[in-house]
Amino acid sequence: MEAYIIAIAIVTAIYVLLALGLNLQYGLTGLINFGHVGFFCVGAYVAALLSKHQVSPLVAFPVAALLAGLAAWPLGVVSLRLREDYFAIVSLGFSEVVRLVATSERWLTNGVQGISGIPKLMDGLVPRAAEPAAVLALLVAVNLGAILMMRRIANSPFGRVIEAIRDNEEAVKSLGKDPAGFKMKVLMLGAALAGIAGAFYAHYISFISPEQFVPLVTFQIWMAIIMGGVGRVSGALVGTLILMFFLEGSRFLRDIVPFIPDVEMASIRLGVVGLAIVLFTLYRPQGLMGDFTRR
Amino acid sequence: MTGFLELLVAGLTSGLVVGLAALAVTLVFGVARFGNATTGDAMSLGAYVAFAGANATGSLIAGSAIGVATGALVGAASYLLVFRRLVGRSAVTALLASIGIGLFIRAGIGLAFGHQQKTFQLPLVRPWRIFDIRLHPNDLNLAVVAILALAVTFFVLHGTPVGRRMRAVADDLSLARVSGLAPARVMIALWLLAGAVTSVAGIMLGIKAVITPEMGWEMLLPAFAAVILGGIGHPVGAVVAGILLGTVQEMSTPFVGFTYKIAISFLVLLLALLLRPQGLFGRVEGAR
Repeated sequence: MEAYIIAIAIVTAIYVLLALGLNLQYGLTGLINFGHVGFFCVGAYVAALLSKHQVSPLVAFPVAALLAGLAAWPLGVVSLRLREDYFAIVSLGFSEVVRLVATSERWLTNGVQGISGIPKLMDGLVPRAAEPAAVLALLVAVNLGAILMMRRIANSPFGRVIEAIRDNEEAVKSLGKDPAGFKMKVLMLGAALAGIAGAFYAHYISFISPEQFVPLVTFQIWMAIIMGGVGRVSGALVGTLILMFFLEGSRFLRDIVPFIPDVEMASIRLGVVGLAIVLFTLYRPQGLMGDFTRR
Repeated sequence: MTGFLELLVAGLTSGLVVGLAALAVTLVFGVARFGNATTGDAMSLGAYVAFAGANATGSLIAGSAIGVATGALVGAASYLLVFRRLVGRSAVTALLASIGIGLFIRAGIGLAFGHQQKTFQLPLVRPWRIFDIRLHPNDLNLAVVAILALAVTFFVLHGTPVGRRMRAVADDLSLARVSGLAPARVMIALWLLAGAVTSVAGIMLGIKAVITPEMGWEMLLPAFAAVILGGIGHPVGAVVAGILLGTVQEMSTPFVGFTYKIAISFLVLLLALLLRPQGLFGRVEGAR
C-alpha cells in the first residue's frame, strides 16, 4: 500500500511539473501550447538514451532539459509572431512530428518497440527499497524549485510584461516591447520544464515508446490547469491532483464494476477528459481555484 | 514512370478527401472564426455511422446517406450546445472546446464500435488499364462523389439565399446584423452544411482505406494545413490547397517513406505561415 501511494505520488509530481510549465506558458503569458507532450517526449528520449550509454543523470537531466528547451526554439521562431490560434495548431503539429521521428528513426529510438531497461535514477546510491521514496523526495524538491521560480518570475518586471502580453499584446507592442522575444523565453523555459519531467518519467517507468507521447497527454495537462484555475500555481496543483485521482480512480472502478475491458476503460477516460474540457470552458473558465469575479 | 502516374492518381483522390475536410474547417473558420478541431473525429464518426448503416440496410449509398445526415446533425448540435455559448470569447476557448468535443466523440466511437479496424464491403472490381496505368473504378467513383459534394456545397454557398447570408455573415458580422440577418439561423445552416461535408470526407476516407477511431484525428493536421495554405475562410482555396497537399503527400512517399507523409503537411503549414500567411487566395487582413 505504501509503495502504491509513493508510485502515484511520483507520477503526480511528474504531471505537476508538466502542468507548471504549461501554466507558465498559457496561464501567465497566454501562449496556447498544444504540443506540450512533444517536449516531454524529447526530454524522455534524451535522458533515456544518455543513461543507456552510462552517462550520469547529473549530466543527462540538464542535457534533457536543454535539448527540450532548444527544440522549442525553431517552433517559436516560425510561429510566435503569428496569431495565437495559429501557434496552437503549429505546436500540435510539432508534437506529432516529434512522435513521427521517434517512431521512424529506428537507429536512434528503436522505433515502435521503444527503449526498455532504462536504469533507475538512484541505482546504487540508495538501498533498492528506499529508491522510490528518494526519487519522490527529489521530484518534490524540483517541483518546489519550479514553483519558487514561477513566483519569482511572476513578481519580476519580466513577469509583468508577460502578463501584459496575455492581457493585451497590442498595448505591450505600443510601449516598445517586443512580445515575440518574451514569448520565446517563456516557451523555451516551459519546454525545458517538460523536458525534466520527461527525464524523470523515462527513469521511473524505465520503458518508453512513441505511443506514450500522444496528444492526449497534452490535453490531460490542459484539463488539469483549466480545472484547477489558469494562471495560478495552486490551480496547477489542484488540477493535477484531480486528474490523477480520476486516472487512478478509473482503475479502481474496474474492481467495483466488473466486465469493463481495458480498451473500454481507455475510451471512458478519453471521453471524461473531453467532457471535462468542454464543461469547464463553458461553465467555469476560471477553474476551481481561479478568481470568481473574472471570466 | 507508370508508378509515378499511379501515385498521382492516388494523390488526387486522397487530395479530394483532404480538400473536403479543409472545406468543412474553413467554412466554420470563415464564419465562426475559430479552427474547429472536432472535424477530425466527426469524420471518423461519419465513417462509422455509414459503415453501420451500410451493414443494416445492405446498401452503401443508403448507409452513406445516414452517415451524412448524422454528420450534419452532430455539426448543428455542437453549435447549439457548445459553440453558440462561446461567441464573444477568445478563439482559443472555442478551439479548446472543439478538441474536447472531438475526444468525447472518439470515446463514443470506441465504446460503440470497438477499436478493431473496419472495412466497407465493396464489390471487387478489376482495375482498368489505360496506357499501362492502373485506374481503380472505386477511386473514380470516389472522385465523382467528392466533386458532387463540392458542387452541392458551392451551389448552397453561391446559389441559394441562405448561402448568400452565410457569406454576408462571414464577410462582416456587424454589417450582416444591421442589415437584418438573423445570425443564429444562418449559423445553424452553416453548421449543418459543414457537418455534412465532414461526414462525406470521413466516409470517403473510410472507403479508401480502413476505418479506425483515430483516422479522422490523423487527417486534422493536413486539413488545417490546407485551410491556411488556401487562405482562411476561403472555400475554393481550401479545396485547391487540399488537393495539392494530398497529391504532394502521396507523391512524396517514395522519397520520405510512409510515416513521414504527415510531416509533409506540417512542413507545408510552416512554409505557408512564413511566406504567405494570407494563403494562396486569401486577403491580407486578419491573417496574422
